[in-house]
Amino acid sequence: MSASLVMQAILSGITNGFVYALIGIGLAVIFKGTQIINAMQGEFAVIGAMVTVFALEPAGLPYGLSILLGVISGAAAGVIIDRLFVQPMMRQRAGEESFLLLTIGLAVTLSAAVLYLAGRNSYLLPSWGEEGVIEILDAFLQIQALWLIGTAIIVVVGLRLFYGRTLLGLSMMAASMDPDGAATNGINVRRMRSLTFLLGGTIGAIAGILVAPLVAVNYHMGIALTLKGFAAAILGGLSNPLGAVLGGVTLGLLESLAVVGFPSGYKDVIALAMMIVIMIVMPNGLLGRVGRIGG
Amino acid sequence: MNKLRRSLLLLLLVLAWALAPLLLSRHLIDLFVFAGLFTIGGLGVGLLLGQCGIVNLAQALFYGIGAYSSAYVTVQLGLPSLTGFLAGMLASALIAIAVGWPVLRLTGFFLALATLALSLIGNVLFFEWDWLTGGTLGIGGIPKLSIFGFAFDTPERVYYLVWPIAILVLLLADNLVRGRPGLAMRAMRDAAPAAEVLGVDMHRLKTAMFVICAMLGSLAGSLFAHYVSYISVQSFTVERSIAFLLIPVVAGSASVWGIIAGALFVTFIPELLSGFGDIHQVLFGLALVLVVTLLPDGLIGGADRLAQLLKRRMA
Repeated sequence: MSASLVMQAILSGITNGFVYALIGIGLAVIFKGTQIINAMQGEFAVIGAMVTVFALEPAGLPYGLSILLGVISGAAAGVIIDRLFVQPMMRQRAGEESFLLLTIGLAVTLSAAVLYLAGRNSYLLPSWGEEGVIEILDAFLQIQALWLIGTAIIVVVGLRLFYGRTLLGLSMMAASMDPDGAATNGINVRRMRSLTFLLGGTIGAIAGILVAPLVAVNYHMGIALTLKGFAAAILGGLSNPLGAVLGGVTLGLLESLAVVGFPSGYKDVIALAMMIVIMIVMPNGLLGRVGRIGG
Repeated sequence: MNKLRRSLLLLLLVLAWALAPLLLSRHLIDLFVFAGLFTIGGLGVGLLLGQCGIVNLAQALFYGIGAYSSAYVTVQLGLPSLTGFLAGMLASALIAIAVGWPVLRLTGFFLALATLALSLIGNVLFFEWDWLTGGTLGIGGIPKLSIFGFAFDTPERVYYLVWPIAILVLLLADNLVRGRPGLAMRAMRDAAPAAEVLGVDMHRLKTAMFVICAMLGSLAGSLFAHYVSYISVQSFTVERSIAFLLIPVVAGSASVWGIIAGALFVTFIPELLSGFGDIHQVLFGLALVLVVTLLPDGLIGGADRLAQLLKRRMA
């Protein structure tokens, strides 16, 4: 095994890792804000990327505007889903599995909708900046990957400041941790929940638009993205956005280094098996944290 | 009086069931056969969801194990088909124990996503182990089932085989749910600490139910393989797992006999919607989302509520 092959695996592992991280961050944001695991987080990415693709190609809008439209559509999808489905179910005090079934059903519906509207083709977006690669130790990194990593870092830092320093961020956390207490303090809990979905949809769409120049987007990639993102978030600890980045990069690196030794078909098997093992081996960390909310 | 009416209704249902193949087109009989298969496989998922509160998204894995076992044993090894059924159920049970024992320590969302991951892993392995499964090419030429020289080689004949099996497993499940294990499971679902104090070994019970679910999935898979005589990875995807989960969800998860309604829903509604053209998958997805949002107790629960409402109106 040559050194450049390993280096290449490391670089693509880090790139993939930031993709998983961005999906994982979106999942973590929604989990933090609503206590729901959103099984359609990957669909937000597909929506964002697809809207950008079609705004760019048949509609002929400039790239910047197309990206903006893509992000807005992700955010809108988040709010619509919250208003139409999540709010009514919250009022019925639906249980954990009902929300899971809801988001799975939505994932199925959206993926069918993308199939209907965009067909079975896979779509690539042009690079954000200039096309090209940079060479590091005989291995290549696409410039787009730097955009991806840079944006992911900005999102993480931004979220950290948002949740820690702004009144709105603090209100959103309060509304999630203790809805009744937050309501007595004059926080509009319902609006905070909508904002959480808006934020989750936005981050999901950004992830999709950043990935689309590297990996072609198609109608059925949502569920796999969701699972990888979930693995990243679990690995890093669900309640910390920084954790998702750490988890995502670890996952990406393990996956791509394993492929150097195993047939590439096993990439997903390794990542998902690792996710299951982590959940079992470190349940207390996770469940302890979940259990502490409100108690 | 009430009892008499119920037995009469039951008799009518059985008659309708028995005579249906004489009246229906071959295509409809074919769909009814699939509904029977999904009843068997969906029952396992329904027991986990309704009695234990466990969301199992891995049923396609066991459905696949059953199908591939039957295919491999009959096509490659040339052994009788019963061996395939047994091999599939044994393999499923062993895998369910090996995987279920650790994984069932998880709860809620985490358990659900772990099973979803299992389904995805299973699909990749079905694809990669082409010496066993034929990969994308699949396995063809699987012989039709035959018992004592009687071949189940038409949809009508398979119809009369699959449904009695489905009814039998439903009866067994009904019995299980009404007995002590059912009580223990519902106690575990509704008040876990209390159940534990009363001496319910929760982890063992969950694993046992997971094994039963896996064996039912495998049974349905074996029947499926013999019925269609050609199988490939496309039949055992995550979408199939989701469809299996939807059966009890649509039916109202706690109802054993409602599983039939759920299985009929997931077989016939897409068929009805396909009249709308390519958009039918979107409509099906929306129908499911609406069932989850509007009818938390499923179709059966919804029908019950409607009946009560009507009764109150009449009174």
